Amino acid sequence: MNVIGAVKAYITKMVEESEPGMKILVMDKETTSVVSMVFSQSEIQQKEVFLLERIDLGSKNFNSGLRYLKCLVFLRPTQQNIDLLSKELRNPRYGAYYIYFSNIVAKADVKVLAENDEQEVVKEVRELYMDYLAVNPHLFSLGLPTCMSNWKSYSLQRTVQGLIAVLLSLKKCPIIRFQKRSRECHELAQRVEELVNKESTLFAFSQSNQPLLLILDRRCDPVTPLLNQWTYQAMVHELLTINNNRVNLSKVKGISKDLAEVVLSAEQDPFYAKNIFLNFGEIGQNIKELMEHFQSKAKSHQKVESIADMKAFVETYPQFKKLSGNVAKHVTVVGELSSMLSEYELLDVSEVEQEITSQTDHSSHLQSVRKLLNVANNKKLRDIDAVKLVILYGLKYQSHSNNDIVGLKKLLMKRNIPEHLIASIPSVLKYSSHYTQQNDNVVDAVKITKRFFKGLNGVDNVYTQHKPVIHEILEDLLKGRIKEDVYPRLNNLSNQLNNRPQDVIVFMIGGVTYEESLTIHAFNKNYPGTNFVLGGTTIHNSKSFLEEVNDTVRIKL
Amino acid sequence: MAEWSPESQIQEGFLCPVCYKDLRSPGNLLSHFVELHSEEQDLLKSIKDLVGKAKKKILKLDENELESFKTEMSLQKIGIEYSEPQAPGQTRSMTEYFRNVRRERLDHRTSETNRLIIRLDKLLRIDGPDRKLREQELVVWLDGSTVSRCPSCTASFNITRRQHHCRLCGSIMCNSCSYFLPYEIAKTIVAPVYSDTNKANAIASKAEGDTLRLCAHCMNMLDSRNQAQMLQVNQPVICQLYMRLQKIKNDLQPSLELYDKMYNSMMSGEQTFRLQDVQSLRSSIAQQAEILDAISKRIISVPLNPEQPKAILLQNSIRRATTQYIKEYLLVLPILPSAEELYRIRQERLTRNVSTSTHPTVSAVKKIAVTTGWSPDNLSIENVIPEISDEDPLMQQIAIVRNYIKQARSANRFEEVASLEENLEFLKKAYREQQLAFKNDKVAV
Repeated sequence: MNVIGAVKAYITKMVEESEPGMKILVMDKETTSVVSMVFSQSEIQQKEVFLLERIDLGSKNFNSGLRYLKCLVFLRPTQQNIDLLSKELRNPRYGAYYIYFSNIVAKADVKVLAENDEQEVVKEVRELYMDYLAVNPHLFSLGLPTCMSNWKSYSLQRTVQGLIAVLLSLKKCPIIRFQKRSRECHELAQRVEELVNKESTLFAFSQSNQPLLLILDRRCDPVTPLLNQWTYQAMVHELLTINNNRVNLSKVKGISKDLAEVVLSAEQDPFYAKNIFLNFGEIGQNIKELMEHFQSKAKSHQKVESIADMKAFVETYPQFKKLSGNVAKHVTVVGELSSMLSEYELLDVSEVEQEITSQTDHSSHLQSVRKLLNVANNKKLRDIDAVKLVILYGLKYQSHSNNDIVGLKKLLMKRNIPEHLIASIPSVLKYSSHYTQQNDNVVDAVKITKRFFKGLNGVDNVYTQHKPVIHEILEDLLKGRIKEDVYPRLNNLSNQLNNRPQDVIVFMIGGVTYEESLTIHAFNKNYPGTNFVLGGTTIHNSKSFLEEVNDTVRIKL
Repeated sequence: MAEWSPESQIQEGFLCPVCYKDLRSPGNLLSHFVELHSEEQDLLKSIKDLVGKAKKKILKLDENELESFKTEMSLQKIGIEYSEPQAPGQTRSMTEYFRNVRRERLDHRTSETNRLIIRLDKLLRIDGPDRKLREQELVVWLDGSTVSRCPSCTASFNITRRQHHCRLCGSIMCNSCSYFLPYEIAKTIVAPVYSDTNKANAIASKAEGDTLRLCAHCMNMLDSRNQAQMLQVNQPVICQLYMRLQKIKNDLQPSLELYDKMYNSMMSGEQTFRLQDVQSLRSSIAQQAEILDAISKRIISVPLNPEQPKAILLQNSIRRATTQYIKEYLLVLPILPSAEELYRIRQERLTRNVSTSTHPTVSAVKKIAVTTGWSPDNLSIENVIPEISDEDPLMQQIAIVRNYIKQARSANRFEEVASLEENLEFLKKAYREQQLAFKNDKVAV
């Protein structure tokens, strides 16, 4: 189960089916992202696709067709796209059209297109189910930054489509289980199940072991997206924000134009692929090695004296150029991360965050938070970090009789933190209230004590003590202990309850985090007999998560 | 403990049982107790016991988990692997359905277009002063007396805006809504019809620059047919160049794979390929790279229709892709060792082989099967009757194989050169043995 491989295979099929010739690829906004997540433009060019066009932007130069081009059309099957494509087919600008839809398309829509193809330019119409963003081999996103506020009107439908596409592209027909406490999980599970049954011919796979689709709700774990992160990918997303594999660095002081936006793709960048899950200290070491490697290469390039040197130079120059681009990119990114670390005192913040989430000690935690929030001690603390600390404290101790959320809020006001940020404290508590009440029990305390002794043995890194809730759920799942009343199943017919599934797709409504992605990766490596894929409506960092929470709470109340 | 607490609330953590101070770790608690409450020895002992027992129990419970945690930590160090190509997932073709719907609709349109073309053909043959009249005989013109406005632009007809008729369908429109089809183009549209009837010269006398007045609908029908035809006949320069470019790329692929194979075999010290062969393959790849570069330069300099901004983008993109291809696939071929280096590599392998294998050459010869159909097994030396003449089959074979080697080398088929050469060696050896046997026979006689 590899979602990147699945999307790549589809695109390769799409490009090869149209036979050799110069090609243009016409896409919409969303499918452009789908393709750009797995292939760079130069890779696509090697597949004879020389031009890219957006169907929703491209109507300006209407008469300037190139009849000798083959046109690959890759669109989501939306009404708007059908209309635009019909218009295009009435006055075709290219010689032949190969039409691909990213999901199940209505027959009526195909009929409309056929009726508009008066010049018989369409050679192929096909559904290729890549209706999701493949981020890493085990991680996908649907690109819905807020999904609760428009759940009924749009997000639910889009999420169903995304999940159906994931299942079809991986050729899985699953048993569906969902988090009972969440109404949205139940709705989603039902809709997916309905569609799977309706399109039973598509889902007729021969599978010896039925895969599992587990649908969860972000509200069961509001803590994970709030924490500062220390592994490369998660850290870049938390501090600089990764958007479709792209990181915007234009705000960095003195940045050169080439580096204003950099691409971080594990498929195209071996250094990134290797370091994606390493913690910040190790990356620093590897960056140093990368630099030294580069410098030794650069030095060997300096002495171009003999003909042999020149020849060697010419022959290795392309690789050298590539390497230098890569070095500059990672040095800039890591440099920016490290300056943010020291500027905002993130080490101190993170230590307290981790302590609150993985230990229980109200009085000392309250003290540490107070100390950090004190204006006199800490001028450099970012507003959002201050607020997040109070939120974490609140999530943990809101039912503690002695809690001092009010006092901490006063401290925040003293720091002149904007009202709307402070307002997100009650929002998050409200957002998760339905879920956390029952979590706070004796079992938790035992687990925390265990964690504490681990700490004594010096295994834990202070900054990576926290484990996301998903870790525990999956561990229960593997041990066959996952509870039927908390995570019920939809399809009652099959009775292989005790069978341990080999393929597990975990989907989280409300978004996932890169920390959870790392958890899934570790599970995949730890339990080679089971394959896990993780997906979410989006991939959150703390900033985007707080936005989603505020959005959700505003709508629900 | 709870009822002793002054606020009578529950405290948690590592509390000292005497002063309720939270010491946050068992170590701290122990040292705190030893320092401050050492007089209460029995309590100290019980605390020590308690802590020890609890620690033992928890640690034991934890041991397994700790192990898995440790491996987990080390496994995290593994990054993401490159996604290997895999088979595409489920797909569903709608092409069949699409074609069926389209066919139903297009049958009508095709017959209409054909009718227009037959009419056009007839119109083109009309010549002479009564042309207008005869045109009306062929196509009945619509009666204009009841039409007061142009059907396509709705402007009313008057003295300055007069009614006009489409020569193909007879419908009415104003002058600005008329399209004019030059006779020259009209001729090309109906050309197939003419060649059938062989009356092409019948319209040769028509004055050039003459046009036919058509309505938008008929013009559109003829136009799309015409374009489809043009596409089949005319290929722009860029297409021809591009086809050449792709052909070279496709032809290069096996050479690249072969080079890779030859290089690896040579660097591991095998004698299968000769250095100069590999060198000549390398230089032929370099030549192709130059040709690719030259073609892509020509593509970028093809003169453009200014109405097609897309074409400029296309040309640039092809050029970029080609240079990228050359850089990534052709310029990165590993550099060959010099003759001395190669000699050293081979010596190293020889010394390695001496210790490991005893008779490597014999078995190697047996395995060879050449695409030319010649195989060493066909010649068993014992059965060959000694004969010295030009028809000696061995000598013939040797000559043939030499010829093959020459051919294979000029065609850059170095794998075959290698196996053929081994065959040649074998033949030579057989020939020598045969000669020797012959001599011995003579001596015996």
